[in-house]
Amino acid sequence: MNLELITLLGKKIDQEVYEVMIPTAEGEIGVFPGHEPLVTIAVPGAIVVRYDKGDSDSQLDYFAISGGVVEVSQEKVRILVDEADNGDDIIESESKAALARAIEMRDNAKDQVELEQAHQLVDRHSVRLKVADIRRRHRR
Amino acid sequence: MPSTRQLKLRIRSVKSTKQITKAMQLVAASKMRRAQEADKVSAPYSQAASELLTYLASQGATKSHALFETRKVKSRLLIVIGSDKGLVGAYNSNVVKAYIRELQQDDKTGVKNETIAIGHKASQFVARLKDTAVAGVYEYLSDQPAGSELRAILDTARNKFVSGDVDAVDIVYTEFLSSINQKVTTVRILPAGFTETEVTREIREALYEPDTETVLDAVTYRLISAQLFQALLDGKASEYSMQMIAMKNATDNASELVDDLTIEMNKVRQGAITQELAEISGGVEALSE
Repeated sequence: MNLELITLLGKKIDQEVYEVMIPTAEGEIGVFPGHEPLVTIAVPGAIVVRYDKGDSDSQLDYFAISGGVVEVSQEKVRILVDEADNGDDIIESESKAALARAIEMRDNAKDQVELEQAHQLVDRHSVRLKVADIRRRHRR
Repeated sequence: MPSTRQLKLRIRSVKSTKQITKAMQLVAASKMRRAQEADKVSAPYSQAASELLTYLASQGATKSHALFETRKVKSRLLIVIGSDKGLVGAYNSNVVKAYIRELQQDDKTGVKNETIAIGHKASQFVARLKDTAVAGVYEYLSDQPAGSELRAILDTARNKFVSGDVDAVDIVYTEFLSSINQKVTTVRILPAGFTETEVTREIREALYEPDTETVLDAVTYRLISAQLFQALLDGKASEYSMQMIAMKNATDNASELVDDLTIEMNKVRQGAITQELAEISGGVEALSE
């Protein structure tokens, strides 16, 4: 089936895949070819892509997303997300530092706007860190 | 008349200014190209969102939805997009002019307004105004603002709209038509609107989880964010193309000035030589008599 991962900065993926795992509000769903048509909401988490049926777990691709809309049909999966970072591009130490900074910002926030922004940063970086972590465990 | 030495110094200083403006022109040109390319990438995103919305609207889901609610506009939120830096020609003054027109129109019709300023120059201007409330200021966003940067702006706009603080949200920005043609426009993002597109069979038959309401909420939010993103990118592309043209004019002016000054310097030098010769031959005349 064809997977399209669309962000504001263009299409991250537009190719044939075997399986996609998507974090949704109702829990994680695995989508294989021939899935029932479905439109649902993705929550912050990791999208996992298996490109070929024979691919082992170490060949999976991970994308950290911050929520979006998923559209599944028989031969196609289309995911609209705000941001998608490939697990390979995430540098763990940097993400850790960024998360620490975000938490510090949240604790020292002076007003509502700052707090709101800090919360989003904390969410974003914890998701990225989680994705980097899962990827590392599988690749070992 | 200035001496040749003074003229020489002036020529040198104009030449170095010319070098700077030339460099800025080239930098702006390459940045504009990049912004122009980025300008197109969000198209599939809005396309996909529009498709879903078209279907949901045909099911009547948008009628009762908070983000689609059309009320009589008694107050509105204006989002003004300017630049962070100067030396961009008429970019900021054009945006500000259009923004003032909107404010004056609101004054006439008795509409209250609030403003979110994006860009340092826009926020400087808005801060001086007394007849609008400042709802937020965002400066030094990156050239391609990521989702998290947009979200803060969008959430403010959405919350104000849903809570009834404002009845409409408009963006004042510069539309990038081509590298020599940009136009300041005002577009309404809330209440949400979308262009109807063709809907595939799959979308019609799909199951909506948890329900259409929640999906609609998420899709609409994404469409608005795509609109804001598009406006920001258009603004950037326009900013750089105006900067490029402004810097090209400055470079041309500098070249002209160098030419004029060189001619003047040559004249002065020639004049001095002529005068010296006249004095010498005058002296020879006097001696021979």
